[in-house]
Amino acid sequence: MNVYFIKDQDFNSFVAKMMESKKVVGPVTKKSKFVFAALEAPEQLRLDYDVTILPPKKEFFPTCQSLMKFQGNHCEGCINPEEKIILGVHFYDVKAIDMTDLLFREKNEDWNYLANREAATIIASNIQNVSSRAFFASVGKEVTPKGHDAFLTKLKSGYLFETLTAKGENLVKFGKFESASDGQKQEARSVNDVPLKKCAEALKHSSKEIAGKVRKSFANESFWNEAAKDCFSCGSCNIVCPTCYCFDVQDDWNLDQASGMRTRYWDGCLTEDFACISLGAGAVENFREHRGERFRHRIMRKAAYLNEKLGGPACVGCGRCSSACTPNIADPVNVINKLMEA
Amino acid sequence: MTCNCCSSNDTNDTKIFDSKNLFLPKETKIVKVIQSTQLERHFTLRLADGGKMKFYPGQILEVSLHGYGEIPIGLASSPTRENTFDIVIRSTGRVSTAINQLKEGDSLFIRGPLGHGFDLPVLRNNNILIVAGGIGLCPTRSLIQYIMDRRSEFKRFSLFYGSRDPSQQMFLDDLSNWRGSADVEFHETVDKGDATWKGNVGVITTLFKKANIAPDTKVIICGPPVMFKFVIKELDSVGISHKNIFVDLERRMKCGLGKCGHCQINDKYVCVDGPVFTYSDIENLEEAL
Amino acid sequence: MGKAKVAFFDFTSCEGCQIELTNYGDAAFLELLNHIEIVEFREAMSERAPSFDIAFIEGSFTREADRERLEDIRKRAAVVIAYGACAATGGVNALKNHQPDYKEAVYGKDAGQPHLDSSKALPISAAIKVDYKVYGCPMDKYELLRIVSHLLHGKTPVIPNYPVCVECKRREVVCRYDDNDHCMGQVARAGCGAICTADGIPCEACRGFVDHPNEEALVKVLKERAGFTDSRAQSKSRMFTANLRSDAK
Repeated sequence: MNVYFIKDQDFNSFVAKMMESKKVVGPVTKKSKFVFAALEAPEQLRLDYDVTILPPKKEFFPTCQSLMKFQGNHCEGCINPEEKIILGVHFYDVKAIDMTDLLFREKNEDWNYLANREAATIIASNIQNVSSRAFFASVGKEVTPKGHDAFLTKLKSGYLFETLTAKGENLVKFGKFESASDGQKQEARSVNDVPLKKCAEALKHSSKEIAGKVRKSFANESFWNEAAKDCFSCGSCNIVCPTCYCFDVQDDWNLDQASGMRTRYWDGCLTEDFACISLGAGAVENFREHRGERFRHRIMRKAAYLNEKLGGPACVGCGRCSSACTPNIADPVNVINKLMEA
Repeated sequence: MTCNCCSSNDTNDTKIFDSKNLFLPKETKIVKVIQSTQLERHFTLRLADGGKMKFYPGQILEVSLHGYGEIPIGLASSPTRENTFDIVIRSTGRVSTAINQLKEGDSLFIRGPLGHGFDLPVLRNNNILIVAGGIGLCPTRSLIQYIMDRRSEFKRFSLFYGSRDPSQQMFLDDLSNWRGSADVEFHETVDKGDATWKGNVGVITTLFKKANIAPDTKVIICGPPVMFKFVIKELDSVGISHKNIFVDLERRMKCGLGKCGHCQINDKYVCVDGPVFTYSDIENLEEAL
Repeated sequence: MGKAKVAFFDFTSCEGCQIELTNYGDAAFLELLNHIEIVEFREAMSERAPSFDIAFIEGSFTREADRERLEDIRKRAAVVIAYGACAATGGVNALKNHQPDYKEAVYGKDAGQPHLDSSKALPISAAIKVDYKVYGCPMDKYELLRIVSHLLHGKTPVIPNYPVCVECKRREVVCRYDDNDHCMGQVARAGCGAICTADGIPCEACRGFVDHPNEEALVKVLKERAGFTDSRAQSKSRMFTANLRSDAK
């Protein structure tokens, strides 16, 4: 599509105009951290954020989402997409959205996700500040982000706005855009190279080498038990992960005790009962009973299990799990580099 | 290859539910309930809208009751039978206990059929052995009925059925038919007999010496996890290739659509890649058996 | 369905959970009254019922003399629910269990008065069979509503066995540790919706531990991430989970 330039002084009015047309979600501050939230004013937007607590996946796959409501024997679906623009998504999160797009679409299309996804316009943006735990420069380099509709790059005196789809092009009417010059395009390229050199952490091997070795380490129980020694099975690493998409489903009645709701909630494979089935009379069978097994399952899932399907690892190097883990054991870089040297 | 019973392809692409919302269940009516054992009830269901559900032996349903939730249950009857289909529910948790309170005429909700069932084209024109332990007889009954209904399409057909004790035996009418049938070589055993039991006593593998199983037999195994290893050991001694062994696995299949992650074993989702797996495909998958 | 007969009882506690019951203050409680009938509730009425469908018991079992009363409740009730931290786990009362001199420490020269005599603070389940537990200090009134709703339908209530971190992260709360604070959400049973951490207060595990808490890792994290001394880190989880710790007396 096309490449445009918008001056700094015109940017907020561009955002304001978009907000008049539909809901605009972007990074805003929450105490010392950032979160994606519906903008109330363009000034709230913090495109200089490093990483958000939760990934933008929540806009299509809410942390708790009604799947079905019932009244006696009658039931109906709850798919009710809202048109929105998600502004300021970093490239690693776009890669993750590409993955959940594929996973929710493959084999059985899950329109509870896909309808929300299709109603969204995604404007990616360059990474102005790199989170201290990020390693996006060294993971899954063979996978390129493709699910965004436009890409915004902060230049010295304004923003480069590259449209990639009709949805993205459709936004141009909201701002005072001009065609970008070759110099501005060149400046954007170098701006986008910068964060790739600023990751404090890095994997030292290719995705393929890692997948092979990680997969082979399955039976290395002492490694996994040692790695998971301080694991709380708290699921924080799962919940903050942009490529995790597991969920639990629960039913509840409304106060009238006749109508109610079936709801899905984000779940985590690190939690104790995740793979547990009831056998009756209080007996259970837990297919991943020990914390080392659950810890291993997550690393396997990120580094090996889904690679064939996704064309690369199911990890984008955002570093959210590393910062969310209070005993600091979830960091895939530490686990994988250690495993590769073992 | 076209399936004669439902005139569709032998693929798992027939879904009765709303393709725009796979989480929306469909109403069925309970036609008949039989108290199978103390814990298990055998339900015959019919779609409330009068339609016929297309499915394959070995496929599963997500069975639900509004407010209580959903559970994965293997279909226990063959698509070659009437417009109804059977499931057996064992009272183990919230949903199953609630379902087992229902009576004829009540509504029950389903999503499905889901998953990969028995590969009928692979099984046809072959010797078949089904080894079913405990409630493992429920999902395999869909195939047993299928074979019995299309007997000429299969060669020798043997069935081993093991129960903990005589009171745990299910489908008593079927058992008495099979005992006298020339269409199936039926062998049964109980781990522990009682005063009335005249048959074989011992674990299911003790039945192997009663039936001379040929090495080119296709074998289907379904039962408690502990049973698989012992049965496969017997099959190895007969010389049956792992490509000819099919196992029906149980996991926490919460969504049945390959999404929620609860039933994942390595890179496989039991609910979509299974529940029926070729043993050679999963024998090296840790956590599978 | 007919109305379920419900009775409320209290033992050693601050009665805060009962106050929480009166805090519904909205349509929720009135709606609930369409489905339940309160037949015994010392705080609000003087009647006594011969039997009831659900007995809600608040407070911990701290005196042998209470056993008889508890057994009587058990006999009259189809379902017994221990509600609130004291009843479910012994709660904050169990803090005294590891401290033989607690009376002197609290009451000083009055420590010898006979009405202060009590034995260990234990959950109600130490005296009688308890069918379900509603955790929390105080219990969450909406969770109680959900549990009652499930019981009205004969469904075993769903009580999470995952930690507060799951709910905290789902709400996208800034981790207490990232705010230079401490927290026990990693080992605490969820179900509260992470109300405290969302308000910027550390989780004190008032709902007790998950089934298998990693106590050693908790001590380590409290020391390394929150700067606790060893003894403070070791004793930190006693406040609400003294009876659930591996060193429970």
